[in-house]
Amino acid sequence: MTEHLDKLPFEEYCQTIFNKDALFDKPEALKGYRGLSCTQYILGPCAAAYLAELGAETIKIEVPRLGEPMRHCSPYNETWFYPVSRWNPGRGTSPAFQGANHNEYFVTLDYRKPEAKEIFYGLVQKSDFMVWNYRPGTFDRWKIGYGACKEVNPRIVLAWCGGFGGFGPGRNWASYDILGQAKGGVFSFTGHRAGAAAGFPSKHTTWIMDYSVGMLVSTGVLAGLFWRDTVSNLGNYFECSQVQGSTRYTEYGLPLWGRTGIVRMRWGNWDTEICVNGICKCGLSSYPHSDHPAEKEEGYICVTAYTDEDFAKLINLIGRLDLAKKYATHDDRVEARAQEEIYPAIEEFLKDKTKEEANRVFNQAGIISQPLLTVMEAANNEHWLQRGALGWYDDPYYGDVFTQNVIYKMSETPPRMKYVHRPVGCDNEEIYQRVCGLSLDTIRELEAKEVI
Amino acid sequence: MSEDLKKEVQEAPLLWPLTPIPTYEEVYDPRICPEAQREISSTFEGWLHPKHEMAKPEALGQVRVLECGHGGFQITAMQAGGYLGELGANVIMVEPPGGSPLRKLAAFGRKRYMFKDNVNGDLCGGTFIHECRNKQSVTLDLTKEEGREILKRLATHADVLIENYAPGQFDAWGIGYRQLSKINPRLVYVWCGEKGQWGPMKDKPGEIYPASPCSTGWCHATGLPKAFGGTPIRAGERADAIIAGNLVAHGTIAALIYRDKVSGKGQFLEVTAAETHLRIHDYAWGWYGMDGSSKPRYGNWDLAINIYSVNPCKDGYMMVGGGHDRLWYRIWKTVGKDRPELEDMILDEPTLRVVIDRVGHDQQVKTLVCLTDWMKDWTREECRAKLLEEEVAAGGVTFLDEVAEEPHYKYRGMVRAIETAHYGKVLFCGSLFYAHRTPGRVKDLGRPVGYDNSDVYRKLLNFDTAKLNELYEKGLI
Repeated sequence: MTEHLDKLPFEEYCQTIFNKDALFDKPEALKGYRGLSCTQYILGPCAAAYLAELGAETIKIEVPRLGEPMRHCSPYNETWFYPVSRWNPGRGTSPAFQGANHNEYFVTLDYRKPEAKEIFYGLVQKSDFMVWNYRPGTFDRWKIGYGACKEVNPRIVLAWCGGFGGFGPGRNWASYDILGQAKGGVFSFTGHRAGAAAGFPSKHTTWIMDYSVGMLVSTGVLAGLFWRDTVSNLGNYFECSQVQGSTRYTEYGLPLWGRTGIVRMRWGNWDTEICVNGICKCGLSSYPHSDHPAEKEEGYICVTAYTDEDFAKLINLIGRLDLAKKYATHDDRVEARAQEEIYPAIEEFLKDKTKEEANRVFNQAGIISQPLLTVMEAANNEHWLQRGALGWYDDPYYGDVFTQNVIYKMSETPPRMKYVHRPVGCDNEEIYQRVCGLSLDTIRELEAKEVI
Repeated sequence: MSEDLKKEVQEAPLLWPLTPIPTYEEVYDPRICPEAQREISSTFEGWLHPKHEMAKPEALGQVRVLECGHGGFQITAMQAGGYLGELGANVIMVEPPGGSPLRKLAAFGRKRYMFKDNVNGDLCGGTFIHECRNKQSVTLDLTKEEGREILKRLATHADVLIENYAPGQFDAWGIGYRQLSKINPRLVYVWCGEKGQWGPMKDKPGEIYPASPCSTGWCHATGLPKAFGGTPIRAGERADAIIAGNLVAHGTIAALIYRDKVSGKGQFLEVTAAETHLRIHDYAWGWYGMDGSSKPRYGNWDLAINIYSVNPCKDGYMMVGGGHDRLWYRIWKTVGKDRPELEDMILDEPTLRVVIDRVGHDQQVKTLVCLTDWMKDWTREECRAKLLEEEVAAGGVTFLDEVAEEPHYKYRGMVRAIETAHYGKVLFCGSLFYAHRTPGRVKDLGRPVGYDNSDVYRKLLNFDTAKLNELYEKGLI
């Protein structure tokens, strides 16, 4: 088998070992691990979902009946996956829920009810990890925090994540993704410069702080499990503050401020450290007759030509030989005033082109470029479909769903998407019977009392 | 270095902190902190406060990582090595002789923004120093056959190898996964990059951020609509490339767990910045699949939640969030204290009564115009204080000088300074991995070129001084 692989050209070799159609023929990295996800919104849920994609049996615990709030936030209130739960067939779940809840089991439990505690401890006893993102201290007040859990199961790896963290002057501040972006720093230097059109700080369109700090929470859990299983046999408690993620990503921002007292500011679509490496406007739209305003507008293209060689090619192409002389080295080009001259010159050249034409011209000249795809174009892009990053999926509950797929590719134990998510409390019987050993009668009784 | 340049490079002392870091007594003063809360927070501090971190074990203390992420300006590998280093792995960063190209990066190429080595006067950029935490720095010329032989020998001693060279480059050089896994079957090998090493749109040599967000619809969906003067916009930081680093660390540890518990063998991982973002582009794909919608730009507002947006206030921009009813009424109660007529206008509006009816565009305009009309009279801090009184999540858009001085961040060690051996005192952001038993920590920031050559090559490959000198002369290290 491997001998055959050794002879393949590299690209075919990659296609073979990362083949999206062979994912289910391979074992799972985290098979045998069980985890609890006591989470809502995005930050906590996605951290647990990344582990579920790797094969951990992840049990998501929601509030009975309506489930967590993320199920109920849909763009323009126009798309819903029905039903939200068997008790509420008339309502649906938002597509915003699906990116953060792959492959999980969905049960319900009202932690505040006295009967709930024992059930919860039962789950904790049989789990390897747990993620939660209620406000700090909430679980501790209910006596189901780290203090209580480590008594019940000393090997459990817990991860709490939230806005600002469980101690310090800001311990009571609530947070959302966009607040994390704003309070941590990255918001302040994203966007066009002050004075330019629309020149103010700009939000990252995705809930990037929640999702990306969720990755670090998840990484923490994995590190905890690794340390437990290879070194110590001891549980652990991790705390991740979402706002800190935003500060962690500011690159040279903090060292620069600490050393020189200069504050990193916005620089629009250009790169502060590398030139040419920026997004330029093309003069023409690829869809001049579309009624979607974001498609009807002009196209944009990212141009990358920072080496002397590539820059020379670019200058030749756009016919501005004066710039080649003026900005011969990278240090010359990257200065602010040079950038202010170079990018408009490129845009002048692109004035009579669509982004596709521009891309063709740049490619012919051997210059790296990437047209800005719209969401629609990305969703239909052969590259992403071939690689299995996006795709249609036949979901047992929701029918044909177009969805993002897994987080990364592994040759031996690839993460995979088994289903996008399920209705609230869908797996109550399965989990409470199989894991907790409750009888169906007891489950019905608890359901009637709205404990589960 | 010329005399002028010497003057230009700042040797000023660290300007931080301008205000003292708050003490435990100030933070938990009984006048502002109830007894019960102090008890819970003190317990958290006992478990998690970073002042205890150096006395605790490290989760990845037994793992050795070779980070070959310095062939160009793609930064995912450098970022990933930083996270693994924080968790305790021994990260050996392999740079080309003369140093990584990433060292030379500074905003607008300005030498005065760079950090000067106080021994040999070399300059190094802030990003490199900030991200190359806890790493050992060695040099090796991978473009030469002899250098690659040395890398093969290093790989026998490594658990993980991370690289971000052009697709197939390492394979063509004979140091790809196919070849190294024969030498060391336990090796976990990670390739990371912008769009992938295979497929119709695979990475071209030299392709860097923002190619990835441009290819996924992310840039196109960030920024204001054209009607408001907006264009697509890239993130100020190299967002995708950075967070792909989170996933490299994630995948690496998952592969190590599988290796050590089950298979005894390593494997090949591929992490791309673009797919990282495709994965987290919230409702865009489900929405497209349902009715063909292409997610448009919506500036600093959110298509799915009202109120969840950033709008102008007296001294900057202010984020207010409150999607569900409980917070919605608290927000308007806060506004009503100063401007009762605005509160009445919103509460009397029939189309704003039910949560899921509020997200239409007209409803958002109505809501946010009223909110901004109240905010325009107050500064970020005033708005925030008023809203916090009602426990509403709110905060101003904060610039990095304000971030560096935020008492909460300073108290938690999120923002702190470290004395480095060669670059003086440097301000940086601490590790996110607060933990009871195995916290992440920062022991050192970026080091000078080849700082650990002698240590690593002697320890792992038994090179003596004569051999090291020979390699220097040949330009291999």
